[in-house]
Amino acid sequence: MRKNKPRTLLDKTEPYLWILPSVILMAIFIIVPIGSVFQMAFSEVNKAGIIKGFAGFENFEKVLTSSKFALVLKNTAVWTVCVVVISTVLGFILALLLNNAFKGRKIARAIVVFPWATTLVIQASVWKFIINTDYGALNTLLKTFGIIEANINWIPTPAAYFAWEIACGIFVTIPFVCFTALSGLQSIDSSYYEAADIDGATYWQKLFKITIPLVKPSLTVATVLNIIYVFNSFPIIWTITKGDPASRTDTIVTYLYKLAFLNSKQGQAAAVSVIGFLILLACASVYMVSTLKKGDE
Amino acid sequence: MADNLTINWKKLLTRILLYFSVAVICVIILYPYFVMACTALKTRAEIFDPNGAILPASPIWSNFVDIWTLAPMGKYLLNSVIVAGGSTIIAMLCGIPAAYALARMKFKGQTVFLGFIIVSQMFAPVVLLIGIYKVIKFLGMTNTLLGLIFINAAFNQAFTVWLLRGTFMSISAEMEQAATIDGCNRVQAMLRILLPVAAPGIVTTLIFIFINAWNEFTVALCLISTDTIKPLTVGINIFNGYNIIEWQYLFASSIVAIIPVVILFMSIEKNLTSGLTAGGVKG
Repeated sequence: MRKNKPRTLLDKTEPYLWILPSVILMAIFIIVPIGSVFQMAFSEVNKAGIIKGFAGFENFEKVLTSSKFALVLKNTAVWTVCVVVISTVLGFILALLLNNAFKGRKIARAIVVFPWATTLVIQASVWKFIINTDYGALNTLLKTFGIIEANINWIPTPAAYFAWEIACGIFVTIPFVCFTALSGLQSIDSSYYEAADIDGATYWQKLFKITIPLVKPSLTVATVLNIIYVFNSFPIIWTITKGDPASRTDTIVTYLYKLAFLNSKQGQAAAVSVIGFLILLACASVYMVSTLKKGDE
Repeated sequence: MADNLTINWKKLLTRILLYFSVAVICVIILYPYFVMACTALKTRAEIFDPNGAILPASPIWSNFVDIWTLAPMGKYLLNSVIVAGGSTIIAMLCGIPAAYALARMKFKGQTVFLGFIIVSQMFAPVVLLIGIYKVIKFLGMTNTLLGLIFINAAFNQAFTVWLLRGTFMSISAEMEQAATIDGCNRVQAMLRILLPVAAPGIVTTLIFIFINAWNEFTVALCLISTDTIKPLTVGINIFNGYNIIEWQYLFASSIVAIIPVVILFMSIEKNLTSGLTAGGVKG
């Protein structure tokens, strides 16, 4: 339609005017902070957060040689892998269940939304209360039903605390996986199953030969997003243990928060940010390739 | 005959198994909320009793009244509304034109912009907190709601643009073209023709941004220090002290904070999941 008209300067610049507000917003509040974090990571920063000069890789050296950082990295990996893998499996199974037609399905779907909609701080506070040894709800529940006699200490070690934090992470992540899988399941043409039924396929054959391959694209997107989301998750660990004792339950984000805002080591915190940023960038590129590929299909 | 019977038995059994497993899962999911509600209605002594009961002896409804005087709950609530509302407005004002340009125009750098949008959602504000703090300090917005509003709007921009672009692209451009021939300019065509048609997608997007901003915790924790300008997520931790935790008040105020969001979320859940997988964005 526009082919016949000569393109004026306004025509050429017009699209940029439309995207300008969005670009400015993201430039100031996302790109500038990214730049600032990188600058601080390579600078000597004093306690007040003022840059004192170029420091090369000094901040990185301090971070990488600190005895805690290896532990923090290991925790981050355990946290991310456990939460993502288990919630993906459980969320997919839940989606398979909810994909059946049954009475009360709407109510069940509405209930599954709850953990997704609840802010993580609140969800984590409840878990902290449930697992409390002296007066926690889990002990009360088990005692009331006569399953245990005396209160059990559910959190005897830091590792036990961390395991509960992972459980809480799984709990709040399941709904997102479930709903993405569910939307994938519902888009599968029922004729596939009809054809398989005629051929006498079993339930498991149908699951592995039809359902899983067809849901895979939406599950892949959900999984990559979850990796990033879980990696960045701060409130659960912060609310339950604050990463204590001695970083035994710290992940990268809680560790860097403490470095920056409690210990005033902003240079090192920035270095941790950059390391986290690079790990995420690797995930992001995988995600981008898969998304763009999806767009081509 | 016998064969038919076994098939029926099998069907019934899977049916029972289905209902049973769904029921168990629902009970597990609702359990934390049940604990929250029971605890919010107990006295302090009841909660800390090592041999306490599951249900409150008699519900203490006054806990829900007390929270408003023990903490500036009204202020927290208002702050949350301002932050969530403000972020939504700014995210939409910036996102709608950008999504429109991406859906309806061709320009150099389009792929770069789109690529940046996809990558930018990878970075939750936590990793960039130090940088964000610096920018906010430079702009003189530390300890203000305005700072939170901009941060939330910016970090929700990717989702906004991506989801709206999808919505706009699914609507044919013909009507707008007809309107431009009738003498409308692009802005008028978008406002009068496209936006009303795209309303369902727009509503889903704005509710989701609202919920994200409402639930945001980390940035608010870091940027806001004055008690009366804290949003709910940070403010209610007044009951969650280092030494004493007032569980009954913490959970009573939590329930106040959760209810509006759960209702909003249920209203958009169906539209949202299809939009999320199509766009591949989680806020």
